[in-house]
Amino acid sequence: MQPRKVLVVDDSKLMHKMYEVMLRQYPLVYALDGRQALDRLQEHADIDLVLLDINMPNMNGLEFLAEVRSNGARKDLAVIIISTEGREEDTQRGLEAGASAYIKKPFHSEDILEKIAQLERGPGA
Amino acid sequence: MPGLELVAELRATLERVGELARVVELNLREAAAGSGSGSADERAQELERRLATAESDVKELASRLVDSEHQGGRLMNLYVATYQLHATLDPAEVQATIAEIAINLLGAEQFILLLRKDEEEDYEIALIEGMYDGLQAPYDGESYTAGDPMVDATLTDGVLRLGPTPESQALAAVPLRVQNDIVGALVLLKLLDHKPILRAEDRDLLDLLSAHAASALFAARLFATKDRKLRTLESLVKLARGE
Repeated sequence: MQPRKVLVVDDSKLMHKMYEVMLRQYPLVYALDGRQALDRLQEHADIDLVLLDINMPNMNGLEFLAEVRSNGARKDLAVIIISTEGREEDTQRGLEAGASAYIKKPFHSEDILEKIAQLERGPGA
Repeated sequence: MPGLELVAELRATLERVGELARVVELNLREAAAGSGSGSADERAQELERRLATAESDVKELASRLVDSEHQGGRLMNLYVATYQLHATLDPAEVQATIAEIAINLLGAEQFILLLRKDEEEDYEIALIEGMYDGLQAPYDGESYTAGDPMVDATLTDGVLRLGPTPESQALAAVPLRVQNDIVGALVLLKLLDHKPILRAEDRDLLDLLSAHAASALFAARLFATKDRKLRTLESLVKLARGE
């Protein structure tokens, strides 16, 4: 199922612009850190995909993810971590924390679009 | 974006070719099932030839699709980097954008931004990123005069150089230009572990930084200086008027 709204969580305005250009087909909402992202989730009940950076001020991506996963109300929220943290244990930690996928920066736009397409097709598709 | 339209067109063409291949394959199977006469054999051979041609076209188009997607990605990176460098007149934001391009688009882990000081020979170390184990010579002072032969050569002749070399640990020394004047350099010292080398497409970004980063930064600094002076003058005028 196509995401109704996508939340971009990254402290880089450059990355916000990148997602704006790359994902023109989706309505986007932006946050600069995990705390803002929690607020955006409250404000927009129709967000069903999050593109999440890890290294951010105030509340990092993994803290945000833990907060979201501890809240049963958003269990179905798909989260793709997109981070410069590229070690295998970083990927493992992200997936164990509840991310649907993990992409390393720098990335090719096809990497993101393919992951979103996979999520749209659903598990096992 | 023209690149995206091209990709969409290629996708549609690929689908059409795939459909053609299915039709040809179906005809081929039907022909094989009804074989027995000479003309049926000839028809089957003809259909096989057409199928082979269609399959070859599919491969060619798939390869062009991949190339187009990469090209679209490269153009998008360049567009976004240029847009963001010139999106603000705040010097700190421009500097942050240079760092974000280096980290997020080039995959740099350690880098240094050198900017020439006014009326002086040495360079201000305007930005240091990723040197968490302490600064190493020749970047451990308040400013940079000389010390890395590759960087020194780039600061002298304005040529973008890629390393490392026997004399230099730097992976790239990117000259920063304002018109024809070399006003500094971006020195890449280390990439992220999962980005082993600078790729061909990174060269476009390095060229873009060379041409745009310094002019964006200097325009922002100039604006900030003029804005400060303007405010001071306005305050003086108000004071003189007794407001």
